[in-house]
Amino acid sequence: MKKYLMRWEVLLLGLLAIELVVFGLINPRFLYPSSLLYGTSDFVQVGIVAVPLTFVIIAGGIDVSFASTVGLCAITFGIANFFGMPLAVSILIGCATGALAGVLNATIIQLTRLQPLVVTLGSLYMFSGAATVLSGVVGANGYEGIGGFPAGFTALGYASIFGLPMPLFVFLCFSAVLLVLLHATRFGRLVFQIGQNENAARHSGMPVFRVQLITYVMTGCAAALAGLLLSAYFGSARVDLGSATLLPAITAAVLGGASIYGGKGSVLGTIIATFIIGYLQQGLQMSGVPSQISSALSGALLVLVVALRHGVALLRDFFPGRLRQSN
Amino acid sequence: MLEWIARDRVATLFMVTVGVILAVGAASPGFLSLGTASIVWSNGLVLMLVALGIFPVILTRNIDVSGGSVLGLSAVTLGLSVNAGFAMPIAIAMAMGAGIAAGALNGFLVAVLGAPSIVATLGTLGLFRGAMLIATGGEWIEGLPENLKALGARSFAGLSVMGVVTASIIILLWVFLRSRRGRWFMVVGDNREAARHLGLPVKRIEFLAFVWAGAAASVAGITFASQIGFVPNQAGTGIELRAIAALVLGGVSLLGGVGSVAGVVIGVIFFTSIDTSLVFLKIPAYWNDLIGGAMLLTVLLIDGRLRIALEARDRAARYRRGEQGGPDLKNAEDAA
Repeated sequence: MKKYLMRWEVLLLGLLAIELVVFGLINPRFLYPSSLLYGTSDFVQVGIVAVPLTFVIIAGGIDVSFASTVGLCAITFGIANFFGMPLAVSILIGCATGALAGVLNATIIQLTRLQPLVVTLGSLYMFSGAATVLSGVVGANGYEGIGGFPAGFTALGYASIFGLPMPLFVFLCFSAVLLVLLHATRFGRLVFQIGQNENAARHSGMPVFRVQLITYVMTGCAAALAGLLLSAYFGSARVDLGSATLLPAITAAVLGGASIYGGKGSVLGTIIATFIIGYLQQGLQMSGVPSQISSALSGALLVLVVALRHGVALLRDFFPGRLRQSN
Repeated sequence: MLEWIARDRVATLFMVTVGVILAVGAASPGFLSLGTASIVWSNGLVLMLVALGIFPVILTRNIDVSGGSVLGLSAVTLGLSVNAGFAMPIAIAMAMGAGIAAGALNGFLVAVLGAPSIVATLGTLGLFRGAMLIATGGEWIEGLPENLKALGARSFAGLSVMGVVTASIIILLWVFLRSRRGRWFMVVGDNREAARHLGLPVKRIEFLAFVWAGAAASVAGITFASQIGFVPNQAGTGIELRAIAALVLGGVSLLGGVGSVAGVVIGVIFFTSIDTSLVFLKIPAYWNDLIGGAMLLTVLLIDGRLRIALEARDRAARYRRGEQGGPDLKNAEDAA
């Protein structure tokens, strides 16, 4: 099993390398270190939500509400800033909103025992609605956004640490912590076991609800982090900041090896998949492909990966003998 | 009373809808009229068609989130072929063909390759939207001919041609799901393995459910184009999520096998009448999502808690019977 997972991640790395080489051949400027590094600022927010989303999926849930949580947290941050709170307090308010959103999701799922998809679908609407209404409070009608951040904050979006752009640095640190958390701690094992068989986990006395709660809260906090980074990057907090992350983030988690049925997945896979998806869009844009086509291609990528993984499984069923020999 | 609410979801939702409509009528006179009913019906057509399409897919315990993009793709097919000079029936057939082909691709991925339906249709959601944008080159399709717009205009007795078509699709689906073969969709969703052992063509049934979803979304696309009169790039974005929300509200279980056409119709009408009432109550449109989402979550919360309470009571009753020496089979069947 472990061997297979390792192979999948190596395969992903190979895919990433091929992708970089192909785009490098089409447009050599794509491979300049500066464009490779600073291009990441356009897509790391996908990875920031996709990594904790991997936890949720492994633990047997799914969360689609993060797409509007990003906007909601950015808006609450913007409002706090608008009313003259200190920067640290505003940031805290933004993060607290994200955590609360996660608590709300997990609690409703626990109380109703409904499918997580249904519940988070409802909160997807409610959060984006709440964000729109809230942004109306300070007179930023509709999708205009709340601006007027302190210069120190907007500079963060373009700052660099150890030669890495700030968003990429945050993403790498954040996912390194989660990587250790999932694959090297007791909590990580609990996440996997609950995803494998929730009832068995409950009957053997594992804190199922608490673990699931933590995974949803992590996703909410990550959405807040993404919202703050995006507000700093664009210089304004908008309701629809996160709506473009919904599809790519789920694609990244699934492409990275997470099973939608729970119990399977890896943080490393999700990280590599994020870069594959991100550089695919960047590379296509730099090769002069219109952005409409690149969105179609990332959808096609997900379809292809799913078809491949399940098609290979089908083939294995057809020729059981031969594969057993090769193993 | 509580038991009845939890057992008969459709009737409860119907009463809540009537209650909401009466309350809005009391708050703003002029709301309660046949004209409003006809507006609600025609506003809800597109959502209704998409929901009716996804319904059999959910019955088989799969899900289809690509509906919005299929809608856009077939609307664009219709618009491009009409503007290229094809006759109306041919253009409509081409639009439906696009929808059916899209549905068949979904069905192939899920039923033949065995991919999880949520992942496969999320992928095709992006793929079809992209295909649509490539076809239009990112531009809106405008200047659709009058005879297409006539399909969506309310002509006789407040009903449009598409309104009548939708009504007949509702009746058709209702009759079909009560037939012997229609029941198969619920059987597959309720217990896939058992259905396979009974000899049902499980994969073919799942495939057909996805093809039906594509076909229904293409009719929704035709309705959309005829009502709006042009095809914007975002045609249908997000409607699949609204449709699933309406289905859940109407008592369709995402775990498959449970749901009724009446529930779907009332769920959609409930959602549409809320949107329409907000207009009448002069509440700004940006409250729509907040109110809709909060209502959906509240209904889910109440419904879920009630169901859990009922299950606990049924179980307690079963245990009591067990203690009284041997289960009374007839009563146990009634309770189940």
